[in-house]
Formats: sequence, C-alpha cells, structure tokens
Amino acid sequence: MTAEIGVERRSSSAVPVLDRRMAVVLLAMMVVVGAVAGVVRLVLGLGATTNLSDSYSWGIWIGFDFGLIALAGVGFTMAAVAHILRRHEYHAAVRPAILAGLAGYVAVLLLLVLDLGRPDRFYNFILFWNPHSPLFEISWCVLLYTTVLIIETSPFIVEKLRWKRIEKLPRLLERIMLPVAILGVTLSTLHQSTLGTLYLNMPYRLHALWYTPLLPLMFLVSSIMAGLSLAAVVYWLAARLARKPVQPKIIFGLARGAAVVGLGYLALKLGEVIVSGDIGLALAPTRFAALWWTEMLVFVALPAVLILVSGRKSLQRTGIALMLILLGVLMNRFDATMFAQLLPSGASYFPHLIEWLTTAGILAAAALAWILGVRLLNIIEDDPPHHAGSE
Amino acid sequence: MSEVISRRSFLMGVGVGAASALAATAVEPVRASEPVAADSWGVLVDLTRCNGCDSCALACKEANQRPEPDTVPVSLNSDAYSFVDRRQVVSDAGIEQQMPIKRQCMHCLHPACVSACTVGALTKSADGPVVYNDKKCIGCRYCQYACPFGVPTYDWENPLGLIHKCQFCISRLEEGQQPACVAGCPTGALRFGRRSNLLAQAHAQIDTNAGRYIEQVYGEAEAGGTSILYLSGVPFAAMGLPTLDSQAPSHYAEAMMKKTPVIGLTVAALASGVYWLAKRREFLAQPQVVAEEVTHDR
Repeated sequence: MTAEIGVERRSSSAVPVLDRRMAVVLLAMMVVVGAVAGVVRLVLGLGATTNLSDSYSWGIWIGFDFGLIALAGVGFTMAAVAHILRRHEYHAAVRPAILAGLAGYVAVLLLLVLDLGRPDRFYNFILFWNPHSPLFEISWCVLLYTTVLIIETSPFIVEKLRWKRIEKLPRLLERIMLPVAILGVTLSTLHQSTLGTLYLNMPYRLHALWYTPLLPLMFLVSSIMAGLSLAAVVYWLAARLARKPVQPKIIFGLARGAAVVGLGYLALKLGEVIVSGDIGLALAPTRFAALWWTEMLVFVALPAVLILVSGRKSLQRTGIALMLILLGVLMNRFDATMFAQLLPSGASYFPHLIEWLTTAGILAAAALAWILGVRLLNIIEDDPPHHAGSE
Repeated sequence: MSEVISRRSFLMGVGVGAASALAATAVEPVRASEPVAADSWGVLVDLTRCNGCDSCALACKEANQRPEPDTVPVSLNSDAYSFVDRRQVVSDAGIEQQMPIKRQCMHCLHPACVSACTVGALTKSADGPVVYNDKKCIGCRYCQYACPFGVPTYDWENPLGLIHKCQFCISRLEEGQQPACVAGCPTGALRFGRRSNLLAQAHAQIDTNAGRYIEQVYGEAEAGGTSILYLSGVPFAAMGLPTLDSQAPSHYAEAMMKKTPVIGLTVAALASGVYWLAKRREFLAQPQVVAEEVTHDR
C-alpha cells in the first residue's frame, strides 16, 4: 500500500495494467487446474488423492475452510457497521466487503464438499438433524448465511439490469436490508462462535493452550478482528481496481477498530491462560508454546501496536499490520485444526499435490470472482446514496 | 507395539485358552435375552486372563463379514472393528514382558462421537451400544476427532468411503446372543452382562484377589463411564488406554450448543437495539428535523 493517493492516475499506466491481466490469467489457470484436480479427487476418493489418515483426518482443506470462514466474517462485520451501527463514514467499504464475504463463503462450501467422504450426500444435514452437533449448526448457518450474502449482494446486480419489470426491486431490497443484516449478524455470531465450540468436543486432542471453554468467544472476537482488517484491505484493492480515489480515513478507521478488537482478543487469550493456570505451558520451551506466542505477539500484539502507534500517518505500515492480523487468524485456525493437535504416535501429514491444487484453485476462483465483481459492478459507488441522516 | 501372530501360535492360544476357560465358568455367562435392566449392556475385559490368542478379533471379523476373516488384525481399521494390541510392560521385578489388550469401541455412556456427529448417524441405543447408521453418514470424520479412544476409522481406499466401528454386535444382542468377541473368547477374559453387575463383580474380584489387580476398574468413571470395562494387573496407561477424567468429553460443547437459541435471540435483540440507538442518535443530532416533525404532528 502506498500513501501517495495523488499519484493514483500515474500508477495505472500501461505496465500495471499488463500486470493485472497477467494476474487474472494466472488466477484463471489456477482455477482450471484446480477444477481438474477437484474432479480427480471426486472420482478417486480421499485415500488416493490426499495424505490424510485415521490419525490425521483433517488437513489443509479443513484448515483453509475454518480460516476462510473467519476471514469471510468481513461480510457480517461490515453489514453491522453500515446497517446496524449506521457508521456512514464507512459506506464506501461496505460493498467490497459484502462481495468478499460472498466469494469467501462459496469457497468455504466448495472446500467442505471436497473434504466430505460422501460428497454425494452433502445435503444430508438438511434431512437428518443433530442439534447437539457444532458441525450441524455450522452447516445450517453457513447455508443460511450464504443466502443472506446473496440477498445483500443482489442490489449490486439488480441495479445494473435496467429491466422495466424489476423497476421496483431495488427499493424493495433496500427496505429489507436492515432485517436481512440483523439476520446475517445473528447467523454469523452463532456459527463463528460455534466453530470454537467444535473444538470443545476434543479436550484430549487440542493442546491446553488453545483448549478452553472460552473458545467460542475467542473465535467470534477473532473473526470480527479479521473482518475489520479484511474490510480495509478489500476496500483498498477495490478502489485501486475500479480506479477510484482511496479514502485513507476509511482504512485508518477500520484498522483502528481491528487493533482495538485485537487488544481485547489478546487480553482474553492471555487472561484465560493465566487464570486457568496454563501459563506454565506457555513458558515451557515447547513447539506449542512457540506457536502460541507467535500467534499472540507477531500476529496480534505487533499489528495492534503498529496500527495504534503509527496512527493515521502511513498507509503502508497499516497495510502490513492488517496483513499480519489476517495471517494470524488463519494461523490460529490452522493451529486448532492441525498444529496444536496432540496426535497419536506415528501420525504425520503433508498435503498431497491434489490437496494443494484444489485449495489453490478454489482460493483463486474466489479471488477471480471478486475481481470480476469489482470490475463489472458498481462496487465502489460513484455517489453514496445516503449520507448521515438522509433517511 | 504389536506383531502379526502366526496361524500356529493362534491355534496354540486357542488350546491354552480352552483350558483356562474352565476356570472362568465360576461366573455364570449372561445372555442378552435376560430381562432388561435399568443399565446398559457391558463387557468386562480381565486382562490378567487374556493370553493374546486373537480369537476375539477373528470372531469379530467373521461376525461383521469383514474381508480376509483369517488374517489377524493389528489395528482398528475399516476391515477390523476390534484387535488385540501388544504392549511392552516392565513388571515390578524389572522383567520386560509383552502383554495383550483387546481394543474396540468403548460404547461410552455419554459418547462424544454421538454428540459431535453432524447428521446424527451415530446414536446411543437404550441398551448401551453406540451404533452407526451408514445411510446418514456424510464422511465429515468429526467423530474421529471427538472420540478420546481413537475408535472410529474411515475407509480411505473407497472413493465413497464411510466410517467403521464396533456396533457391540447389536443384531446378535437383539437375537439374545452375546457379542461375537465374548462368545469367541476361550479364556474367560471377556465377560458379557449388565454394566452394574459387571462393575460389582469387578470390584469383588479386586477385593478377593489381593495383588492380582490394580485397584481401579477402567471405564467405571473414564470419559463419564464406558460400557466396556477393564481389569488389569498393570497400570492402564502402560496398556495404552488413555488417562481420562470422569467428565464426558462433550460436556462443554453440549452446554454451549444448548444455548444456541438463547444466543441467537439475544444477538438479534441486541442488534435491533443498537440500530434503534444509532438511528435515534442521528435523529437527535438534527434539531431542525425534530422541529419539523413536531409541527407536522400538530
């Protein structure tokens, strides 16, 4: 990220455009390769196309899945900021966020289906209910919340179609947006926290530095932290892609929010480890302690301080801090799923080529869909329809 | 840990077992057709009587129609729902010795796999067995992470693989028979019955055979109690059984899941309240609008 907003026009000359095309072509190639790998996975099954085993049963598909859900929390976070908290100064960042949320959740669904042993039965959670199961609740919430995101995204598309028959649709959609946003925030609070609950069923598998009855709260808070961070990043990216001026105060404001939530998250994590008496585990020279402190210091404390200290001066420094937060939340979900798991002796895992290719393909597809959305739709709006109090 | 047992040593084991079986007939074998008691069916595994003949594991394979019914299994997998593990144990006298232990689903009283299963494919039957419905399963493998005993296994080689685990021979129980492993045990190391009876017998055995057993029945409290109980002369941890506390592993997760409706309604109400406050703040920030509205009302 650069602070030189004034030289925006100059930087979008011939060479960067070519770079952008290259990036799009590269993403498209990844999608094609990933799709082929996905078909291979579905035809040959998990044994032939993954390095998973009974002692290491969840790999990078689930790691990215749960990580992506946290990052895709950008959708509900910004819907709450815009429609519920009514912070109109962040208006320009809402659409890029909602679109990123939708792209993220569709990617989540694709990854989830790939990981299922019976992908042909993916819909069974609709037919057969187990309300005790965290994964049952998550499945339902992800399904319903993806629907919410489609409704929240629909105005971007509907306004582009100038059909006579749906003249009244944009107004109707605008009217239902508040209840839809409240529903989205409710569904997201539920499944973001339930992803933490999911690990509460593994008291003997998840390392004590991570395992705590407070996991649901920690997962919710970290998803909000990730959501605010990603909102700033995708706003900046969308403005650049749409060749519109970037409003630095939006990025600084969201980053500040992420930093404040981050400090709360840090206090929660540190406080829990101290109160529960697990602090000894954090001070012991183990791989787990190293992972835990890396998560806390490098990916939460450092970026929060970077954002709060550097204030509203450097977009570049803020950008680095935001990327650190996003990587940290991804790392936290990977730790819970893989690296902080106490494995049966002899268990090991390194992802199979097919796992890498499919994951890369799905992530590329989400990025590509988002980029196309920004290019084709009015994601960075020309004139915000409502400023403070105009309703 | 474990080694493949040759066919000959297996048959030898059966022979030795048949002799010691006579010693075990002191306790009447219980049949599933008995009047239904308040508590669940169980199996008491007396490790001091096990000679590692693998008859139970082979009987299990046969009863569950697994491929290669004559090959002794060395782990739990989609072809073997039980197996006899071998552990190197050092006795008090310092002698290293290999000791067998039969492993299978513990049929927990509060099974975490049942709590975790996304689609309710795993259920706890009223009589104790934790049974698996292969028509519902989506293959998410969450049960593998929830189970503290590492019991459910996935059929990795099958493109449409499913979970596999011991079903406590539920169809045999319904026919009034014992589980295949118990019926196949020649030494009396496995005893089938009502869990409360087996517990009482286990404690009586500990009390009357001073020094033979360590003073703990594994499964009485572990993970909130299990239907399969173990008696042993050496510490259970040395036999590869995990050290677990008496709380059901699903305790915290279930407590949270029960709060789902409350959390949902609270968040929806809070969000509506915050919206109302935000709207009101905007409204109050614009006094001229208030004046207009007031005159309008009159």
